[in-house]
Amino acid sequence: MRRSLAAALLVPVLLLAGCGSGGDPGGQPADGPDVLRVLAGSEIKDLEPLLRRAEAEAGVKVRLTYTGTLDGAEQVAGGRADGNVDATWFSSNRYLSLIDGAASRLATQTKIMVSPVVLGLKPAKASELGWDGKQVTWADIAQAAKDGRFSFGMTNPASSNSGFSALVGVAAALADAAGALTAEQVESVTPRLKDFFSAQRLTAGSSGWLADAYARDQRVDGMVNYESVLLGMRDPLTLVYPGDGVVSADYPLTLLASAPDAKKSLYDKLAAWLRTPAVQKDIMTGTHRRPIVPGITPDSRFGDHQLIELPFPNRRSTADELISTYLNRVRVPAEARFVLDTSGSMTGDRIAGLRQALTALTGADTSASGAFTRFSNRETVTMFPFNDTPGRPIPFTVPERDPASVLADIKRFAQGLDAAGGTAIYDSLRAAYDLPPTPGHYTSVVLMTDGENTDGSDYAAFESYYRALPQDRRAPAFVVLFGESDVEEMRQVAELTGGALFDARSTSLSSAFKEIRGYQ
Amino acid sequence: MKRRVGIILAVILAAVAVAAIVLGNREPDQPQATVVRGVIGSEKKPFFDDPRVKAAFARQGLRVEVDTAGSRQIVTDVDLSRYAFAFPSSVPAAEQIKNDRGATTTYSPFYSPMAVATFEPIAGLLVKAGLLRDSGKGYQILDIKKYLDIVSKGTRWDQIPGNSEYPARKRVLLTTTDIRTSNSAAMYLSAIGYVANGDDVPTSDAQISKIAPVLAPAVLDQGFAESSSEASFDDYLALGAGKTPMLVVYEAQYLAHVFAGDGAIKPDMRLVYPSPTVLSKHTLVPLAEPGNRVGELLTKDPELQALAAAYGFRTTDPKAFDDLVAKTKAPAASGLVDVVEPPTYERLDRLITTIDSARP
Repeated sequence: MRRSLAAALLVPVLLLAGCGSGGDPGGQPADGPDVLRVLAGSEIKDLEPLLRRAEAEAGVKVRLTYTGTLDGAEQVAGGRADGNVDATWFSSNRYLSLIDGAASRLATQTKIMVSPVVLGLKPAKASELGWDGKQVTWADIAQAAKDGRFSFGMTNPASSNSGFSALVGVAAALADAAGALTAEQVESVTPRLKDFFSAQRLTAGSSGWLADAYARDQRVDGMVNYESVLLGMRDPLTLVYPGDGVVSADYPLTLLASAPDAKKSLYDKLAAWLRTPAVQKDIMTGTHRRPIVPGITPDSRFGDHQLIELPFPNRRSTADELISTYLNRVRVPAEARFVLDTSGSMTGDRIAGLRQALTALTGADTSASGAFTRFSNRETVTMFPFNDTPGRPIPFTVPERDPASVLADIKRFAQGLDAAGGTAIYDSLRAAYDLPPTPGHYTSVVLMTDGENTDGSDYAAFESYYRALPQDRRAPAFVVLFGESDVEEMRQVAELTGGALFDARSTSLSSAFKEIRGYQ
Repeated sequence: MKRRVGIILAVILAAVAVAAIVLGNREPDQPQATVVRGVIGSEKKPFFDDPRVKAAFARQGLRVEVDTAGSRQIVTDVDLSRYAFAFPSSVPAAEQIKNDRGATTTYSPFYSPMAVATFEPIAGLLVKAGLLRDSGKGYQILDIKKYLDIVSKGTRWDQIPGNSEYPARKRVLLTTTDIRTSNSAAMYLSAIGYVANGDDVPTSDAQISKIAPVLAPAVLDQGFAESSSEASFDDYLALGAGKTPMLVVYEAQYLAHVFAGDGAIKPDMRLVYPSPTVLSKHTLVPLAEPGNRVGELLTKDPELQALAAAYGFRTTDPKAFDDLVAKTKAPAASGLVDVVEPPTYERLDRLITTIDSARP
């Protein structure tokens, strides 16, 4: 289970790399007259077995390249997807459509299926709260969260559509907004959002990883996720459909305007095939998503609640304001620990890449995804640079207001990094776990090394150290593969700590760090 | 300059023709088919995708391939040099394309009035709220003047007295598509704009400035709007009143399913007509010779006209449509009288731009 988790997370990064270099990732066809190249959100990964049938049944080979929601939206709107892919398949095009200039990049959009974002709770907790079989509103849920009666996990709204949809829904419901949310309403609803999100104990960069992390962590009572993910959990959850409304994903398969004519025909074939009654039924039974084509008898597991769909913002500035409010003012602040290899092998481009990757997180990256991956207000960041031995930890706390001076300090730290000496990975990693966590923060560790362990204790020693740690001192380690790092050992670190692997070997440290930010 | 564009266009068309022959040869059953590529409003895509429509064109040696785009996008964003015809869903858009591209003719093979798709419990509430009433001719009409009053008051569903059927806190608002991209929203805007302008088609910038703030809440306060009428109709059919209690549609979208008897229209679904309404006259602008042939065939070929009727469109010869209505007891209005003309493309465009700049 854990092994497959870490492996699964590695795949998207590899595929994305394949996209740029035009290689042949994961044995999928690179291109060809019957290949439709699709830029997709990781949410649709569970459709891969079904899509393999498209070759025989629709005459279309689907080649998927995965990316995050915001990142994907920026790629498409900025025209960087043109020529590399023919179509996109995200769980929603709403944010993308709000970006200026995006509309002209998109041709036909075809909705394939639907899944609302709702709350799933352990059945015992749901009945303790009296929420099974009763109509509950987001306001009820926020009150229970404020009173500390339950805890939940949710994905990062800047990285994943399920978190973004949940945030929009909760904000609209708590603001009692009768129409589209405005920036003023975002401001006035912020205290109530804080109540709601005070109960969040788990975050993630993707809804699939969230589900796995939730399954591992018995302390968390539930999660906000797609109905399809919640219904797919091995241990059944009680689903709470808030009576004041939800935001749903509608998975539009979208042709890019730049796609060549031959690819357009493939798109038409695939879209038509996906909407045939037989395939719609298979999607429903296989992935627990609701069919978009009428006439398919819905699975009884969807229940018979009338789902009120909450209005979604129709201005990008409002959506961005909401995400930024969540990150900088509302969420449980992050405590991020960066264990950074500054050994001799990092000399040259590598240390320069590390400096740049960290600098980008201080606000130097001015794209939307860059703005949402910067170190957030209220966040504690501790740097653990190392070579032969662990270096002195260097802590930074970004203040609630006016973060610029601390961000500048972090930037100065990054610019001052130099490479020399050996590689004491596990002594240094241990140093990061030796530091007690800051109460009321969400702690995680990033391990970046470009080589094998040459000094100090070994992996086995770290493993026994970690296993002896009390539960509240444990934290996921997000491990960056770089240079000649020992893939197998790094995988073990990720599995041991419930973290994940990120491959920067074929992309860049900067893109790996940016992706990791979604998990902190 | 114009000459140069013409030459480039000719080169592209030659390339298209060559590609057409090459591609055409791949189809074993239609060895000589000429590929004609058009850009159309999304609501006509099911029609063009129908195998019977494809067969009817094939018999004339044509293979028609279409991309969809909003009518306004077709005018402003789409690279028309790739296409042999544009087929937007309104006369103003078609006229603009015709002028821009120097086309000499247009074809209007079928039309569809703007309508509202809703649900029985919602329709009941609308009657209670005084918005919906019987026309006396077998269909219900939605009073736009009263609707605009409700919009200006910001009335929510749960504020309608005696409403236990749909106690949503959302505003009472017709769902529309995105006015920036979609013709159906623009047509709807024409109808409500007519009312807001004192029952007259807006013809001056002064009038636009005056009515824009009145109309803005009716299209913007709903929040995010789908870019195409097919997408929002998908939501109506699949997700029901929770997502879309009342949706501005082309009558044809609804009737196509009634005529087909495919079960998509469930017993609690209702089709009503705004008063006034606007006709969406689907108008084809040929951009190259094979586009002309498509326009002629759509207008004159009895089989294509019958197929268009099967997709819910009202055709030049009303018989095919009327027969289907009689046969399926479809809730199609006969003798719609309260029909108004849309403003010119330029005026409508200004109205859309003015409203959009007030997005919340």
